[in-house]
Amino acid sequence: MSAPDPAPPARLRVVAGDSYANWESVYADNVVAVYRLVFRQVGNRPDAEDLAEEVFLAALPRLKLPAPVASVRSYLGATARTVVADHWRRHYAAPPPAPLPEDVTVAMPEPAAGDGGRATRLLARLPERFRQILELRFLRGLSVRQAAAEMGVTAGNARVLQHRALRRAAELSEDGE
Amino acid sequence: MRPDRRVGRFVEDLLRNRRPRRFRATPEELDAMRAAAELRSARLGADLPDPVFVDRLGRRLREELSGEPRDRSLTRRRLLVGAGTAAAAAVAGGAAGIAGDRALAGAGSRELVPGGATWQPVLAAAAVAPGRAVRFSTDAVEGFVVNRDGQYRAYSATCTHLGCLLHEAAGGRLACPCHRTTFGLDGSVLEHELPQAPAPLPWLHTRVRDGQVEVLTV
Repeated sequence: MSAPDPAPPARLRVVAGDSYANWESVYADNVVAVYRLVFRQVGNRPDAEDLAEEVFLAALPRLKLPAPVASVRSYLGATARTVVADHWRRHYAAPPPAPLPEDVTVAMPEPAAGDGGRATRLLARLPERFRQILELRFLRGLSVRQAAAEMGVTAGNARVLQHRALRRAAELSEDGE
Repeated sequence: MRPDRRVGRFVEDLLRNRRPRRFRATPEELDAMRAAAELRSARLGADLPDPVFVDRLGRRLREELSGEPRDRSLTRRRLLVGAGTAAAAAVAGGAAGIAGDRALAGAGSRELVPGGATWQPVLAAAAVAPGRAVRFSTDAVEGFVVNRDGQYRAYSATCTHLGCLLHEAAGGRLACPCHRTTFGLDGSVLEHELPQAPAPLPWLHTRVRDGQVEVLTV
């Protein structure tokens, strides 16, 4: 899916190598990126809002400002990673993630990219029927029943197909891009 | 319930932007659920925050960060509870959280034995490989079980500085995301950038019964 970027981001205020002087600028510059980073891992607004809030409440009071943009971002990314992992562990009994190697930082999404890129590319790599059911549901927002009708299968079949498609998507996602 | 049913229900909730029901998922279910979460952002703009939320959180942060200095432990505790992180660091009830940890550290004791404690299984011993630390949660404690050459011991997972949750880092260390403090698998402070070294991690009485690691807690 290729759509023009939304209006030019306000990030122009900050140039590489620059610093954040106060928490307001940290927040303004990173709230969208943190929210997107979290949303992609929980997939629903109420949880994403809670977790994004948790990241800022945990991170901001502990920042010693002024601080370089890069180190603030990597700190926010690391905090988000911990917060999201804890969410999955507490609510869905997920095992803890592998420890992050010392020299690896969590990449923050660009605040204004808005392209749904990773997910769209993931869909594109799926076999036809799997891609179809997931697009009908996740992109077009059809119900299971509507999606089944569109594909000419029973609702039961559509449910099974959706489950298998998600399993396959998970495998592809793990392989990375 | 069949796995595709539970995942199906999870997907319905995501698609309606509802907070999904919580349940103990199998690894296979988790894979499918994470893929579903990721696919939710395929729709253009679906992963952008609501401006009302951005504004509200900004105001909340201003209250928290620019207001009068308050009792830090109370503030922190409210943050933890309100944000659903992992409230009680150590001792249950009352002003638990870091207040509890600090009080204990200040008293020179590193041993956490809450009153009315019982042995509670937290993890399968086999889940903790030698030289590793694995997170667990009970109602009262956020902790790690550490396996040091077959000896199991549970430590608080809450940094003794300001109460941030630690994570396992490479090289047998427990790292705090807040101030880069790291602890060893024996709870000792390995590195810190603070004016004063924080206290070592409190530990809990720990035993292995029937292959389960149990800790003494409320």
